[in-house]
Order: sequence, then structure tokens, then C-alpha cells
Amino acid sequence: MKWAAPMAVLGIVVLVAVGTWSLFPRPEVPPWEEATAVWGAENAVAAIVLGARLWDTLFEILVYAMAMVGVRLVLRPLWRTGSVPPLAETPLLRRAADVLLGPIVVFSVYLAASGHLGPGGGFPAGALLGSGLLLLALAKGADRLGGELHEPALERGEYGAIALLLAVGGGVLFFGWKGGSLCVGLNFLIAVEVAIGAWVVLHQFTRTRGEV
Amino acid sequence: MAACALAIALVGLGFWTLIRRRNVIWKLLGLNVAAGGAILFLVAIAHRPGAHPAIVGLGPGPTADPLPHALVLTAIVIHFATLALSLVYVIVLTERRHSQDVHKLEEDR
Repeated sequence: MKWAAPMAVLGIVVLVAVGTWSLFPRPEVPPWEEATAVWGAENAVAAIVLGARLWDTLFEILVYAMAMVGVRLVLRPLWRTGSVPPLAETPLLRRAADVLLGPIVVFSVYLAASGHLGPGGGFPAGALLGSGLLLLALAKGADRLGGELHEPALERGEYGAIALLLAVGGGVLFFGWKGGSLCVGLNFLIAVEVAIGAWVVLHQFTRTRGEV
Repeated sequence: MAACALAIALVGLGFWTLIRRRNVIWKLLGLNVAAGGAILFLVAIAHRPGAHPAIVGLGPGPTADPLPHALVLTAIVIHFATLALSLVYVIVLTERRHSQDVHKLEEDR
């Protein structure tokens, strides 16, 4: 019994290795330029994520939103009212936030706007914006930032972004809409959704901190 | 090839931690490492010798396979969401039972 788990791990690793071995030589990459141009994109990954596999992306966003709803619902009853230990503040982080926050926001908007033409897209843009929020929270104190950001408005923004995303995605899926501007719109909505979700995780986790 | 081997090693290490450790947070970390290995595996099988990313206008030559890259995007986001949700349940477990040890959690209920 003691060796069951290591043997299981070894078996899994051997299975994966055998599977990998059968992958060589790797298949030829199909001609992707024309298929990419059909969706109004130049980045093949964006054409796949926002075009050919849009069902996948939409349900991925729904799974993400459901996970964030779960985080919210489960953690909110556990919020500590009084004795939350304070977070340490450093002048270094404060200066870093002063200098870096503007470029972070601008670069995330750039990534969302140009994701169908080059490297980038909605998910990296949202993750970058969420990291910017994390930096701001570390510099200002998460509680202060949480007080300044209006939580119900953020929630409404998140659900509104999902609704718009489903509407635009339905247009692409059922009415055959195509084009670069649709890619930009989808990327921006995905970025908003991912950034708000990242902020939800950050805020809820810092609100529940404390000793066991 | 080396990246594939590293990915398999990471998956093995992650599953090992997932199975052998008794602390729930360590188990989640092991799952995290295994997911990193899976992502590295997808990136590795997308690679071709001397390839550049599948973006129009980067010149002639072989390109990487764009489909595993798209799958990696999904994997990263879903993994982040599920990890956050499972950590939330670890928080609840710690609040209610004051323990993160699996054996202890299974014994006294």
C-alpha cells in the first residue's frame, strides 16, 4: 500500500512518455494564413480563440465567472469585521506604483486592442490589468482600495461584460459576423471580465486574512 | 525534446506531491506544478525547428502550430479560476476544522 502512490505516479509518467514518443515526427502545420484572414485577424491564435473555437472561449469565460461567483459567495460570510491584522506598507511599493501604474494600464489597453494583429489578446490584457490592481492594492493597502472601488458597480460591470460577450459571441456563432472590429470588441470584453475577476479574488482573499 | 522531458518530469513531480503530501495547500501546489507541466507540454509540442509564431507578416519559414497555443490560453485561465476556488474551500475548511492535514480531517468529523 505504501508503494501504491509512487507506482501510480510512475505509471502516469510512463504513459505520458509513451504518448509523447508517438507524437514524433510532429504533424505538418496546416496552411493557416487564409483561415486567419477569414476571421479578420493576423494572429492565428486570436483567429482560433475568437473564431473557430469561440464556443470554447465563451464557456471558458462562463466557467471563470462561475468560479468568481463561488469565491464571492463562499468567502463573504467569513469577512472579519473588527480585528483584521494590518498589511505592511513600504515606500518602495508606493513609488513603484506611482511610476508603473500608468504604463501597465496603457499597455494592457494596447494588448487588448492589438491582440488580433500580433501577440496579445484579451486574456493577457486582463491578467496585466489585474496585476496592476494588485500593485495598487499593495501600495495603497487593499482595504483602502477596496473601500474606494465601488463593489456593486464592479459586479454589475462584470455581469454586463459577460452579457455583452454572450451577445457578440452569439452574433458571431449564429449570424456569421466576422471582422477585425469584432475581435477587438471581444478582446476588450474578455479583458474587463478577467481583470474584474482577478480583483474579486484579490479583494476577497485579503478581506479574509487573519490567524487561524 | 528536452522541453517535453521537463514537462513530463514536472507532471510527475506535481502528481507525486499531490498524492504523497498530507497538507491540503501542498496538494494544491502539487496540482499547480502538474498544470505547469501540462502547459509546458502543450507549448513544447507546438514547436517546430526554427519556427516563428503563427502571425501573418513575420516572413517565410516554418511556423509553430497555433492550436496548442490556443489550448494553453484556456488552460491557464481555467487553472487560475479553479485554483482560486479550491483555495477558498481550504480557507473554509481551516475556519471550521482548524486543520489542513488530510488524515486529521478524515478522522474526526
